Amino acid sequence: MNEITLTIDDKEVKGKEGNTVLEICQANGIDVPTLCHLDGLSDVGACRMCVVDIKGERRPVPSCTYPARDGLVVRTNTEQLERYRRQMLELIFTERNHFCMFCEQSGDCELQKLAYRYQMDNVRYPYTFPPLPVDSLSDYLVIDHNRCVVCGRCIRVCSEIAASHTLDFGRRGWRTLVSADLEQPLGESSCTSCGACVQACPTGAIFSKLNLYKGSTSDCQQITTVCPICGVGCELNVLVKDNNIVRIEAPRLTETRGPLCSMGRFELLCQNHPRVTSPMLRDNQGELKECTMERAIEVTAEKLGELKDGFAGIISARIPNETLSLFHKLLREVVGSDLIDTLDGESYRIIAEGISQFSLTSPLPSRERNKVREGLDIECPIEEILEADCILIAGADAKKTHPIVGTLVQRAISQKGAKLIVVDSSRDVFPLWTDLWLKPRAGSEGTLFNGLAKMIIDKGLVTPGKAKAALIQFLSQYDVNEVDRATGIEAKSLEMAAEMYGQAERGIIIYGEGLVQRDEPSFITSLLNLADLTGNWVDGRLRVISLKPAANSRGGWELGVAARDIKQDRLKGLYLLLSDDEEDKELLGWLKGIGFLVVQASYHSPATSIADVVLPSPIWTEREGKYVSMDGRPLELKRVLQPKEGLLQDQEILIELSKKLGHELSPS
Amino acid sequence: MVAKVKIATAWLDCCSGCHMSFLDLDEALIGLADAIEITASPITDIKEFSPVDVGIIEGAVSTTHDEEVARNLRANCRILMVWGDCACFGGICTMRNLFSKEEILRRSYIETESTKNGKIPSSEDLPPLLEQVKPVNQVVKVDCYVPGCPPSSEAIHYALTELLEGRIPVLPSEIMRFD
Repeated sequence: MNEITLTIDDKEVKGKEGNTVLEICQANGIDVPTLCHLDGLSDVGACRMCVVDIKGERRPVPSCTYPARDGLVVRTNTEQLERYRRQMLELIFTERNHFCMFCEQSGDCELQKLAYRYQMDNVRYPYTFPPLPVDSLSDYLVIDHNRCVVCGRCIRVCSEIAASHTLDFGRRGWRTLVSADLEQPLGESSCTSCGACVQACPTGAIFSKLNLYKGSTSDCQQITTVCPICGVGCELNVLVKDNNIVRIEAPRLTETRGPLCSMGRFELLCQNHPRVTSPMLRDNQGELKECTMERAIEVTAEKLGELKDGFAGIISARIPNETLSLFHKLLREVVGSDLIDTLDGESYRIIAEGISQFSLTSPLPSRERNKVREGLDIECPIEEILEADCILIAGADAKKTHPIVGTLVQRAISQKGAKLIVVDSSRDVFPLWTDLWLKPRAGSEGTLFNGLAKMIIDKGLVTPGKAKAALIQFLSQYDVNEVDRATGIEAKSLEMAAEMYGQAERGIIIYGEGLVQRDEPSFITSLLNLADLTGNWVDGRLRVISLKPAANSRGGWELGVAARDIKQDRLKGLYLLLSDDEEDKELLGWLKGIGFLVVQASYHSPATSIADVVLPSPIWTEREGKYVSMDGRPLELKRVLQPKEGLLQDQEILIELSKKLGHELSPS
Repeated sequence: MVAKVKIATAWLDCCSGCHMSFLDLDEALIGLADAIEITASPITDIKEFSPVDVGIIEGAVSTTHDEEVARNLRANCRILMVWGDCACFGGICTMRNLFSKEEILRRSYIETESTKNGKIPSSEDLPPLLEQVKPVNQVVKVDCYVPGCPPSSEAIHYALTELLEGRIPVLPSEIMRFD
């Protein structure tokens, strides 16, 4: 882009063609007040706070929407402009209820800050006092239209960043209201409660019930950590006051990986099950009784030493790397058992096997080969979703399990015109967004993917050199008509899907638990073949993403903690390091048959109630360590709250146990 | 000795918090006492205004009585200063502007959950409510404003000191607060 030179307030400044005048002012440290502008969103010139004089223009213009040109002469701070700005503020104040003394956002409000800046100690116009509704029926959010300045930041963040397109303007003129799906109550609308609007709102018009009157930003310490829920690995900015979380924000709301979902922003604040506060031991009468830490560790160590390789370990994939590897070492090196798994280990083994089968037939580029760890590096980062022109999502309810992936999919569709093919045998996981929903019979997904590959070859949509003889030979068994019969999908839809994905320049495949749980690694191999055939490689990685279930799934998988399915083995004892994760029903059923069960957990649960020893564990806010996001980014979980005195960290317990067994494990 | 600056104060529809904030000046009041004389005021309990240099009003204009007090004080002072968000902007008192006068009276005196056989007071001695609660500057001319709910003692002290030094005070951004 060409460099341009402008004169702003008698100073010569440089910018780029395509910049707005406001962008150039901000880049050059020239302070222009704004209200409806939010970095990273489009500009609309709604509030008129950023008005500037431009030589040749008959009246002041909003700098946020004025395209900069070479040679412009701009004034940002004349007495007249400052007077206009104050006048605009007074008019905004008269329009609705902007009395601060009973507003949750007082102290954190951009409108209030501007009024202070312009020393607005009175208003010269009559107030309008319109009777406006308050919508407080949604689980987490409240819209108080009385506090709204109709800047539209919530609407823009909802469409441009959250890609939910729930909010829009309703009505006209001074009656304009922010409206969810044609004036539906927020709780009944398409709103996903991601809370981006809460963070974008400059006033107290949209706020969360969970954060209400807990404190303002200036009272808080801010700690950037990582979300402990799904594998996306979103960064969280946690605001803490007096060892309590006031609220959770997105540190970089408008960046590709920036926005949060309702799990990261709100659900994390709603974990209030009873905590395990003391170690417990099952006594001779079979009752679980509180005991000292010393005693609980002694009993556990004794059993570990006694049962040795009959003792297995399962650990949550929410646990940071340091603890994962210590747990691994304790069992393998100290106890001498190789029965170690993570809660999501099953998914790993299927994905890894699928990738390894693919690598056998289509060797990875040699540069990649050295750094490939268990093949997971074959997948691309999630940013690639936004670059895609066709998205095939298979067996993955992304909006529910990995909402930020869902957000990126919807952004690619609404902003880049990407096509969406959903492969799901039970439901369309992106209703209203899907171009083509393929509903294969459960278990026939592999046939579907191979059939699509065959059609893509037949249609000549393969990248030259990719259709290797062995693969063509293998695929020759798939005839469109048979695929149609086997999958229950009509041939027309299959043809359409093959064309959509085959013709795409940057087709991306996303798959998740729905597919993995079919227990067929070959399905994954087929998907990878499909991507490879169509030349969907970017920077040495395939445009394929698997949605890994937990925050540190990948960390655990890379460390080799999930190498074995231990449920096949007869074991005598089990050490379950659950922490603040949840056990599923299937696991619970299996736990019941175990001779000696140690559960290290943060919350009381069915698992702790059947344990022989219960050890307390910190929750995500109380520990720290390294995570790896599902697409391989190293992340840092930080401690945001001080745990109760006496609560040991998971590693400390593991070290104590190893000491009792005569070994000195050190935290890595 | 220089003559003391005469001050009269009044409160209208308000909580008296601004006057409390003034009293919160604590030891600074002693210094001020050398320079000012408070005539009519809720503090002295003198209700009839005589001519003063500075009139001070706390509270919004809500009744015909409020209107009269505001006009009366305006007529008796050279400079009129208002204290607090109610007087400056209308503030919390204007919450009732979202409803009609009748709705407000019925809700307050008849429909409140703890009221049995309620009745809207109708004595001639009671000033009728205005249709709308207004900030003071919509009734009389105001010369200077000290917003805040209540304004901090610091803000009140700043404003009084400026006046004593012959300047019309405008609160600097750093000490201006609306809450």
